[in-house]
Amino acid sequence: MMADEAGRAGHGSGSRTGAVSLEFRGVTKRYGHSAQARGAVNDLSLEVPAGAICVLVGPSGCGKTTSLKMVNRLIEPTAGQILLDGVNVLTEDVTELRRRIGYVIQHVGLFPHLTVGRNVAVVPALVGWSKERQLARADELLSLVGLDPAGYRSRYPFQLSGGERQRVGVARALAADPPLMLMDEPFAAVDPIVRERLQDEFLRLQRDLAKTILFVTHDIDEAIKMGDLIAVMEEGGRLAQFGPPDEILAHPASDFVARFVGADRGLKRLSLVTIADLELAPIAASAPPGLPTFSPSTKLRDALSVLLAADSRGGVALDEEGQPCGFVTVDAIASALAEDRQPAATRSGGVTRQGATGVGAAAGDDS
Amino acid sequence: MSGEPLIRWDWLFAHLGPIAERVGQHLYLAAIAVSVGFAISFALAALSIRRRKLYPFVTVLATAAYTIPSFAMFAALVAITGLSVFTAEIPLVLYTIVLFVPNIVAGFDSVPWDVLDAADGMGYTPGQRWWRVELPLAVPLVVAGLRLASVSTIGLVTVSAILGDSFGGLGYYILDGYKRHFTTEILVGGLLSIGLAVIADLGFVLLQRLLTPWAARRTVGG
Repeated sequence: MMADEAGRAGHGSGSRTGAVSLEFRGVTKRYGHSAQARGAVNDLSLEVPAGAICVLVGPSGCGKTTSLKMVNRLIEPTAGQILLDGVNVLTEDVTELRRRIGYVIQHVGLFPHLTVGRNVAVVPALVGWSKERQLARADELLSLVGLDPAGYRSRYPFQLSGGERQRVGVARALAADPPLMLMDEPFAAVDPIVRERLQDEFLRLQRDLAKTILFVTHDIDEAIKMGDLIAVMEEGGRLAQFGPPDEILAHPASDFVARFVGADRGLKRLSLVTIADLELAPIAASAPPGLPTFSPSTKLRDALSVLLAADSRGGVALDEEGQPCGFVTVDAIASALAEDRQPAATRSGGVTRQGATGVGAAAGDDS
Repeated sequence: MSGEPLIRWDWLFAHLGPIAERVGQHLYLAAIAVSVGFAISFALAALSIRRRKLYPFVTVLATAAYTIPSFAMFAALVAITGLSVFTAEIPLVLYTIVLFVPNIVAGFDSVPWDVLDAADGMGYTPGQRWWRVELPLAVPLVVAGLRLASVSTIGLVTVSAILGDSFGGLGYYILDGYKRHFTTEILVGGLLSIGLAVIADLGFVLLQRLLTPWAARRTVGG
């Protein structure tokens, strides 16, 4: 339901401000004298091109939230620069800066004393939009995140479920059409089923909005799913690796990254690829009936799981019309892992990998 | 005296005018004490929130004042402030502080940190955050403090009757009835004083409902 609404409202709102590029340049945050303190950040440099989702992922205390909060200056860096379209955030008025940046947090932080509609319109109200424009914008955004404005705008936050609260939180962050969104574990407080739905809907939204997004999570699976680029951080606030998800999974730059992404990183890579990406073998005339079938959007990881469960060496790929168009084998799926692919391109159209600099280049430890 | 009825209605009806005046005086004395006490307490609470180290001292002093018997404090003040309205109000005001300050501090403490984080992150200035987020969210506990302080003060006003006929509100009748062994007066003074406290309490409950339609209640609608 959110998809069509996103399509409708997205064009009206998403193109207004566009996105900005985001760059961390030698950013360090120290707490006290210890460089190892929880939440410290050590010489972080990375570039996120406009319109890309960059996920900061790492164990707790690795400085990922600190890094995010330095962008809207809830935390001031000890050293270094953070640039939005080349402009150092430290040179800007802090209040103005924050009103131009969307902010979504794990506990949502909706204002309990304001209705859903007024919560969404908080930043428009702060920057002095007219009442009518605020209300219209709130309704537009509630539709965008899949909440019927007539049913929701007058409710109070205590009358919402956890998933609804998160949606309102996202709507509120989008209200003034910010070119950059900071999202700190935005889906961590809801149950796995709701989380997955919110993730899917957000990715669909992002296809239209094309915001630049800095996204923090401790969950590598979420990072792989949401990120065009992933920055893996380790204790001490160091950047362990920066690159597209497939590169991180295929070529972890260190033992730490390999351990962090998990022993099943091969399987995780398969979840980045769908049947449609696979080169299919022709269907043999001798193929027995009753083989598993796969739609083009089936992830290779799921296809493999189905084949293994069915104890079958192969299955039939269907085209968009549901007609058989090729043969999928376990071997073909396995060989997909041998390729180096660029999955970012398959997810958010406008994103190039030019901004993906960093230690990702030091890959090679694939053993 | 055993032949006397519990309430002499003829006395009551003959004194409606003076009784109404005493009710007015009672409310006047209580309102001043609660208002002034609230203002002083709000300042002390704001100070305690900003400088946490001061909070224990504020609490200890307020509690110490509260331990002084009202009877003794009224009597002692006569030597300093004579038979002025200050003699009645100073103890009443002092007693409210121990009820107000912890509630006001708790009210501001009760504002969830994620709400403050969100407010900062979205670009509220500190002043906007205080007026538009912290103060409204502190209202339920602040009003709880108002309920406590008003009920307590309305009761204590009666004790100021010991200062003389021009004080005490309805307490005048309690004291006068006691001196004259006249039950009707004691009951009129006591029951009306209780009634005022109940009405004040219900008034603040109503005020809170109007101010905080957003608070989750037992009967959740929508």
